[in-house]
Parts: sequence; C-alpha cells; structure tokens
Amino acid sequence: MSLLEVNNLSVVYEPRGAEPTYAVKNASFSLERGEFVGLVGESGSGKSTLGFAVTRLAKAPARISEGTILFDGRDIASMKEEELRKQRQGGFAMVLQSGMNALNPVRSIRKHFGDIFAAHGHVPKSKRLARAYDLVEKVELPRTVLDRFPGELSGGMRQRVSIALALSLEPQLMVFDEPTTALDVLVQHAVMGTIRELQKSENFTALLISHDLGIVLESTSRVMVMSEGVIVEDGTSQQILQSPQHAYTQMLLSHYADPRAEVVEVPGLVVRGSTISTTGHSSVAEAVDAASPAHSATATGAPTAPARRRAGRPEATAIVVDDVTKVYPPPRRGQDPVTAVDHVSFTLEQGQSMALVGASGSGKSTLAKLVTGVERPTSGAIHFGDARVDKLRRKGLRELRREVQMVFQDPYSALNPLHTVEYALMRPVLNYTGLRGVAARTRVLELLDTVGLTPVEQFAAKLPHQLSGGQRQRVVIARALACDPQVIIADEPVSMLDVSLRAGVLALLDDLRVTFGVSMLYITHDLLSARLVTDQIMVLNQGRVVESGQTAQVLRFPEDPYTMELLEAIPQPQRAGTGR
Amino acid sequence: MWYLLRKLGLLLLTAWAAITLNFLLPRLMPGTPADAAIAKLAQNGPVDPATRAAIEAQLGVPTGDVWSQYIQYLGNVFRLDFGVSYTFFPQSVSSLIMNALPWTLVMVGLVTVVAFICGTLLGVLAAWKRGTWLDTLPTLGGTFTSAFPYFWTALLLVFFLGYQLKWFPTSGAYGRESTPNMSLAFVSDAIGHAWLPAITILITSLGGWILGMRNNMINTLGDDYVTFAEANGLRSHTVAIKYAARNAILPNLTGFGLALGGVVGGSLLVEQVFNYPGVGYLLYNAVTNQDFPLMQALFLMITISVLLANFFVDILYGLLDPRTRR
Amino acid sequence: MTVPANLPEPTGSTPPYLTPAGADGSTVVPPARGPASPLRVISRGASTIWSNKKARIGVVVLAVFVLMAVFAPLIAPYGATENGFGRNQAPSGAHWFGTTAAGEDVFSQVVFGARISVLVGFIAGFLSTLIAVVVGLSWGYIRGPLADVINFVVNLVLVIPGLPLMIVIAAYLQNGGMTMIIFVVVLTGWAYGARVLRSQTQSIRGRDFITAAQFSGDGAARIVFREILPNMTSLITGSFFGAATSAILAESGLSFLGIGDTTTVSWGSMLFWASNSNALLTGQWVLLFAPGLCIALLATSLTLINFGVDGLSNPRLREGSGR
Repeated sequence: MSLLEVNNLSVVYEPRGAEPTYAVKNASFSLERGEFVGLVGESGSGKSTLGFAVTRLAKAPARISEGTILFDGRDIASMKEEELRKQRQGGFAMVLQSGMNALNPVRSIRKHFGDIFAAHGHVPKSKRLARAYDLVEKVELPRTVLDRFPGELSGGMRQRVSIALALSLEPQLMVFDEPTTALDVLVQHAVMGTIRELQKSENFTALLISHDLGIVLESTSRVMVMSEGVIVEDGTSQQILQSPQHAYTQMLLSHYADPRAEVVEVPGLVVRGSTISTTGHSSVAEAVDAASPAHSATATGAPTAPARRRAGRPEATAIVVDDVTKVYPPPRRGQDPVTAVDHVSFTLEQGQSMALVGASGSGKSTLAKLVTGVERPTSGAIHFGDARVDKLRRKGLRELRREVQMVFQDPYSALNPLHTVEYALMRPVLNYTGLRGVAARTRVLELLDTVGLTPVEQFAAKLPHQLSGGQRQRVVIARALACDPQVIIADEPVSMLDVSLRAGVLALLDDLRVTFGVSMLYITHDLLSARLVTDQIMVLNQGRVVESGQTAQVLRFPEDPYTMELLEAIPQPQRAGTGR
Repeated sequence: MWYLLRKLGLLLLTAWAAITLNFLLPRLMPGTPADAAIAKLAQNGPVDPATRAAIEAQLGVPTGDVWSQYIQYLGNVFRLDFGVSYTFFPQSVSSLIMNALPWTLVMVGLVTVVAFICGTLLGVLAAWKRGTWLDTLPTLGGTFTSAFPYFWTALLLVFFLGYQLKWFPTSGAYGRESTPNMSLAFVSDAIGHAWLPAITILITSLGGWILGMRNNMINTLGDDYVTFAEANGLRSHTVAIKYAARNAILPNLTGFGLALGGVVGGSLLVEQVFNYPGVGYLLYNAVTNQDFPLMQALFLMITISVLLANFFVDILYGLLDPRTRR
Repeated sequence: MTVPANLPEPTGSTPPYLTPAGADGSTVVPPARGPASPLRVISRGASTIWSNKKARIGVVVLAVFVLMAVFAPLIAPYGATENGFGRNQAPSGAHWFGTTAAGEDVFSQVVFGARISVLVGFIAGFLSTLIAVVVGLSWGYIRGPLADVINFVVNLVLVIPGLPLMIVIAAYLQNGGMTMIIFVVVLTGWAYGARVLRSQTQSIRGRDFITAAQFSGDGAARIVFREILPNMTSLITGSFFGAATSAILAESGLSFLGIGDTTTVSWGSMLFWASNSNALLTGQWVLLFAPGLCIALLATSLTLINFGVDGLSNPRLREGSGR
C-alpha cells in the first residue's frame, strides 16, 4: 500500500464576488514509502495549492471540491479537525516557502519545540530537551539556537529551524514547499544538501515542491510536472531528464545549461563567446586593469550605435569607478559599521556588457546605487565623462539619468499599479527628449514595438496588473530605453520571472544593447544568465572583487574558491539520480 | 535596557514640551487672561505681589519679560505651586487637585484597564470565531456603543438606572452624610457611587478595544507562523492564544496608549454628568467660572498623567516584545 | 506567463490561500479588466465598499442623515428655535417627540440638529485629513533631522488628551461658535491620520516604481502627488471618516458642556439644555434619547463605512476571507 494515494483531487478558489477558479484539476498520484518525489511547475500552476491540499492546510477561499486523499489508508480529505490534528504527529508535516516568517517572533526556539511536544505528548517530558538538542544538531545548528528568538537568526538558520520543528513530529511524509526560494544562492545549496541527507538518514517520504526543475532533478528520484492545475507528466528523474514526454517539460528542461560548458545555448539566445582570448583572464590584483583596452576587445567588436537622437550629447562615454568604498553605519548600537563595497575599481566602456555577480550581501546592489548616484561612496570617485557621479546634486543627477538608466529586479514593484503603460513610458519621453504631443506618443508606441509588445495601441492602454511578469519587464526595459541612454544598469532583471520567460527577456536586453550600442552593467547571482549576455565579469565577495575577466574564461576556468563555490551551487539537472 | 532609557528620555522630553505648551497656551490666546484672573481674585480681597507675580508667570502679561516668567513658571511647576483658586477661594489649586485626583485615578484608571482587558479578550474571540455570532455580536455591538457620546450614555444610565429604577445613587462619589475615611462603610458607599460612572466608561470604551484587537488578530491569523503552527498540529487554543493573540496584542497596546487620551477626555464628561468630585468635574467648574489658574494646572496634570500611562504601556510593550531587547 | 496576477499562486512569498489583488503589493486597485480610467478605479473602490454588508448599512444611514440635514426645513414641522408651544410636553400628535423646557418642538430640533453635526463632521473631517495628508506625505518622503522633529510633534499631539485641550482653548476663545469648535477639533484631530499616512508613504517610497520615476526625470512634487498619493486613496478615505467621526463626537461633547454658542441648535446643545432644565426629573426620556441616538447612529454609520474601506487597503479584512 502506498503511503499517500491521491485520487481525482480538485481544489477550487471561491473568492467573494469573483468567478470560482480551479487551481488543481483532478489530480491523481501516489507516493511510496521512502520515496523522494518532486513537484515542478511555474507560478500559477497550482503546485503549492496541491501541497497545501494534501496536508489539509488549504484555507478559504480555497476548498477541496472533490477527490480523496488516502494517507496510510485513511481518507484525510474529509477528516475532522481534532482527528486531523493528531494525525500530524507521526503523519505528515509541511515546511513552508517563507521559512523567514514561519516562526513566532515573540517565542524562543525552545518554546517552539516545547509547544509541539506538549501538543502531541509523543516525547516524555524528561527527554524533551535532549530531543530538541538532537533535532537542531540534525539540521546542523548549534545547541545555543534554542535560546534565541527568530528575529536573531538569519534566513537560512530560520529555515533550518522550521525543518527541525517539522522533523520533531516524526512524520512519515514531509512536504517541502519551495523550501529555499527566499534564500541566498549559497545558503540555498547548503539547505538543500541538509534536506537530502535528512531524507536518507530519517527515511521519511518527501515531496519537494519547486519552480526550479534543476533543484528538483538534483534531489529526487521521481518528478511530477504540473501545468495549469493538471499533472502533465510523472516519471523517474532519469526519464524526465533524458526523454521528457510533455512539451511543457521539454520546454522547462531546455532552459537549463551549465555555465561552465564550452558552448552554452538556450532557446532564443545566440551562442556567445566560446572562444577565449589569450590575454583574457585576470585575477584580483589585476582588477583595475580589467578595463584596459586589451580586455574590452569583445566590446569594441560590437556594432557602433546607429545615428539616433543623441545629437549634441556626449558620445561614447565610459563609467570609471576608481577605488570606491562604501561603509554603512552600524545597523544596531554596539555593532561594527558595515563595509558594503571595499575598494572596487573598474571601467565600463561604451558598448560593453559586464556582469557583476555575487551572493546577496556581496555588495553588488550597493555598487549599482553608487554608479547611478542614488547613494554616495564613502571614499573613491566615480566618473561619467566629465561628471563626478559621486558629487552630483539634483540637477546633475537628472542629467546623469538621461544617460544612465535602470532595469529593476521586481517587475511587480517597478510599475505604479495605477498608471497605464503609456503614462509610464511617456514620462521619460517628455522629461528628456523634448518631444511633445503626437511626436511623443509616436515615440512611446515605437518603444513598445521595440520591446515586442504588439499590438502597441492595445498595450499602451493597459494597466500593470493586466500584464504578465514578462510583459511588465518588457515595459520596464522600454522605459529605460526611452531617453536613449548610453548605459543600462540591470539589477537581477530576470530573477523574479518564470524560467520559461527568462530567455526571452534576456535576449531582448542583449539585442537592444547591441543595436543601440548601449553598455550594460548586469547585476546577478545567476551565473548562467551572466554567461549568456555579458562579455566581461566581476565576481564580488563581501564588497571585494575576487576575480574578473572575460565571462567565458572566468566561468570555465575559475581561479578563486568563491567563484567555484558559486558555480557549484547552481542546480544541475544532469546530476539527476547520481545520488549526490 | 537601551529601550528603557530611550523611552525615559522621550517621556522627559514630551513632559517638558507639555509643560511649555501649557505655558504658551494662555499667551497665544486673544485678551489678557492674567488680568482677568487677577481681577476675579481681587473680588475676594487684596492681591499680594507674590500671588500677582505667580499668576502673571502662569498666564502671561503682554508687558512682562517672557523669559523670566518662563523660569519662574518652571520653578512653580516643580514645586507644584499653581497659586490660589478664586472659585474655591482661599484653597490653593494644588490642594484642590490633590483632593480630586484620587477619585479620577482610581475610578477611571481601574475601569479603563478592565475595559481594555475585556475588550481585548472579546476581540480575540471574535477574530478566532470569525463569521459566527461570537464575531458578529461583539463587532456590531462594539461599533454601535463606541459611537455613543460618553455624556449621553451617562445621562441615559442616570435616567433609567438612577431615577427610574433607583438601583444606584445618581450623584457624587459618596453619600452626603458620610465623610471620607478608610472605614469599611465609607469604602462600600464610595463603591456604590462609582458603579454608574464606571459602567458608563466601560460601555463606551469597550467597543474600541474589541474592534482594534479583532483587526490585529485577523492580520496575525493570516501570518505564516500561524499556518506553520497549525501544520505542526498544535492545539487550537495554543495557536489562538500563544501565536495569534500574543502577536496581535502588541499593536493593540500601542493603540491603547494612543486612545488613552480620548478615554480620559470622555471620562471628564462623565464626571460632569454624575457630579463626581474628580478632575473632570473640577475642570468643568474651572471652565464655567473662568478660573484660569485652576484650569491650566488641571490640564497640565491630566496631560502628565496620560504621558505617564503611555510610558508604562511602553515598558509593558518592551517586556512583551523580544525585538525591543536587542 | 500569461496568467493574471490574481490567480492562486502569486510569485511573491505570499501563501496561496491569500489571493488578494494585493498579492504583489498593489493593495489599492482590485483587478479590473477593460480600459483603465480614474473613474473606473473609483467605481471599483465604491463597489468593493458596497459589497461589504456593514459598509452598505453605513452608507444608507449616512445618506438618510445627509438628506435630513439638506432638507431640514421641508422635513421639520416647525422652526428649530420656534417656541411658545407648551413647556415640557410629552410626545403627542402635534409634537412627536414632545417639547423642551423653553417650549420648542423637539422633533424639529432633532432634524435641524443634523445640519450642525453633518457640517462639522464633514468640514472638520476634511480639514483634518488635508493636514494629515500634507504632513503625512512630506514626513514620509523626507529623511533626516526634520523628520525626527515632525515625529516628535505628531506624537505630542497624539498623546495630549484632545478633549481637555479643546475645553481649555475654547474657554479662552469666548463664544467662538461653530468656527471655534471646528478649529480646535482640527487642531487636535489631524495627528492620527498623519501617522498612518506617513508609514504608508514610507512603504510606497521604498518601492521600485518611485526610483523608476526618479530615473524618468520626475521631480519630487510630481512623485509625491502622482505616484504616491493616488496609491493611498483608501487610507485617506479611511482617515477622513475616522476624523469626521471624532469631530462629530467632540462637537457634541463641547456643545454639551455649554462651551461655544449654546443658542445654536445642535444635538449636543439640546442635551446641554435638557440636562440643565432637569429633563431627568421631569421624565422626558425622548428629549434625552433622540439627540444622543442620532449622534451615535451618525458616528456608527461612518465607522461602518470604514469597515468597507479597510477591506480596500487590507484584503485580509475583507468579508468572506475568513478562516
């Protein structure tokens, strides 16, 4: 008998005053004891809803409308509250996506464990402390963590505590709902490692829900793929990897590649830079030289900007960052000041595409703020043409932004929900280009056409919530291009998008950069995308440049241990079933 | 510790600002309140120069040196010397306040705390049982009663429970024949007189606490730690009390501090209806008799009391929220 | 992704059982299809409020009082200060609610009294909200020592008990009438709204579209009024109704104490005269009951509307989104 047997399960969302929608449609599957199964799908596929349904955590307006969930032979879909509560010990547990917020901020970790032991009484009082110690050690945390409050722990530690708490129920089934999504790359990698080890040592059945096929294939022996509320494919990880049957699975899989490979290819993106120039590679000591002409050989090969509306404006200006340091005041009394950027120098030549990579807290976003004049450096200088960016006041900043534009990480936050697309694009056109009336509107429509949002008239009239994430990001890119800037700072432009949409947006960025001769500073933690759209790369660790040079060279033959660690943390579908 | 010091510093700064506001208020007003006050005082007999200077320091004269008046005023405040009341001549303002303050502090203070606790509990229940009659009844009832003007509730209670049903005495804090002492008879007499004003304040302020706590609790019930607690199979009362309500009470405490001024203001009106010999009744008398020295001193005392109450709420908040201890 | 943002699984960290329009933080506008216009945004908001049962009752009650205030001369059988009917009469066919100690018709006074309360509520509510918006927005947008100073002033106004301050100010400004009452109500009533609006401003200004507007070359004023302000419509509406409620209650309290112009017929001053003429002893319970009930109903209606407005800015508080 299977541990979990789901038959014909449907979940419906019934919000007041809106049409009911089916998030899960007639799902049927079973989980065998000790199996590690993945559930993959993009946002809106219903995978989390399914996870909440099988652990009976779905709340209004979601409702299980039909089907049975047999856990250990008993139907839990219709089980009464109190009986269900008792089932949770020794039954099924769940680790939530936002482990950050899954702990009660006013309760110490010790009390969190105490509450669970008290609720189920499955551990005798005398052994509870020892059991709690045992559990936190299993998730590789020090014993002292028990006396801490959630607010005193980092995101990764909190997610580990969540796992330990779920484990304290001694569950037969653990459901992990995007357990590492909110975490930093390196932490993500480490936490996934812990989950894999625990699954082996504790031998529970695990269901891993994730949008990232790479992470899932790496860990699981079987994968279910979900799309629009339906499980479209269910097979062993090897099958999924080698002969995916469903078109959707094939599409997902095609977007994975190893940035270390000689040739990296993703649908929709041109093959790039497999050749390596002999002078290409430089190490920390040479970071400043990275900007020297020899290193920007690839960049000079780019076609020059077509004659456009830049008449009377400085041509071909580089951004020169010279020995810049940014120190923030201590976050709390009694702590040390935070050095976010530590003596960084580089030059972004006209038409060049440079990646700035590192984990969160590496200082890459701070560097973007410094370059755009949003923040001022503590020491050092930033030049753009004749202007000293770090000394600019209001009017100067406005001038700078005519040339240096930004593409934001979160397309849901980068557009004002109350303004139409036309309004958003019209602002920079009116403010910078001097176009008015019909000419300005023509320019707006032209921009929409450039980023592929056609029919342009229709898109111009839309509000952000009527657009998908990918379409929003295209609007954001169009807005950045509106004033014909020379430089675009792209801060993780695709990290919030579904995998299938990333390539399209990246291709667009790369395309426009080449056609318009714009240089780009591409900030990311995702080395694959860096490999796809940049020629030069700088690896930042704790505010310092640890390695820089040509992207292909650095990623294929990394020299710094930190770069290697970053590369190692990338989920690789190819590792499926290798039992890592 | 740092939190405590910061709050203490803030208390002192706010108290200073309130004292200064109290000094500036009569000076910003049209006319010369000091002259009016001295003229009224003169009806009781000659005004000696020291009294005159004190009144001028408190209420201001257009010709005087504001700075030296301010210094003198500050000194008077610290010695709790607010001059002489001419409504209740020759009693000093501070002795009048000292007689009135205990009545208000005990009655209003106690009722407010009781109302806050009851309202918070009902709010927790309403949010936990959302959509049932346990939610609808207190929510709608609370919405309605919190819209009652304090004095109107008081009038209705006096009319129905006092005059019509004669269940409670309708006026004063104790019977006419008793004199204040600590005997059991007097205390029970005083409690008998306190019932009506207390019920009034309870009825009118309860709704606000219920609604506030209900909203906070609904918010925390949607938080991830509540879902996770349910996923871990904690007993439902543990989830309700130690997870949802425990977090919802924090913003409710802040709300308590902010709403305190309103409750105190409302109870002043209640005292007036019941002729309850507290601060509110005294203030009403001072206002109707244009007794500015008494009025100013009372306003200051009321403000400082609310500031102190807020300070204690802050301390309580600090004890309840580990995040302030960092 | 061709899925609209309001489908069950938003990309953010919001759990799927919360499926508000605001899953992506855009808490204001519920998803609309079709062409966008400010009118449509407002009508969407209005229909969200209307869909809340409590708010619907509130709107109806408020409408009744507003109509009563506007058409008072048509509704009331007599003038408000018209006296010379018998004194202290019990309710009868000629005088539905009886007469006062001065021989005025109580029902007519109640009808005319609506004018003062509605007027004070709306004017004082509007002015307080105006100050709250100006202070709240600039306070939320600026940084540095000035923000700390504003913080201190706002907190001071918040903790100073409002009614005693009003009483003291009113005592100095002898017989200032309605203008004086509105003035002191506004003076003490703006701070709460300012605080709420400030924290919302801060959270909006941290969002990328504000930085984007700066990159688009927009100035500070335009950003505040075109990018931030429209995103706070529901909070501003909420603080308007909140301020109006407390203004109505404060006005009635001051009038009841006999501060201000006692010859103006308002619900508060009716109770002032009733209690001074010992209506308690003469047993005229309608004279006591009616004006206070009107104050309570009017204030309740505003609070009820705010239930619906709360649902606009906080999807968790919407009806039917229960556990």
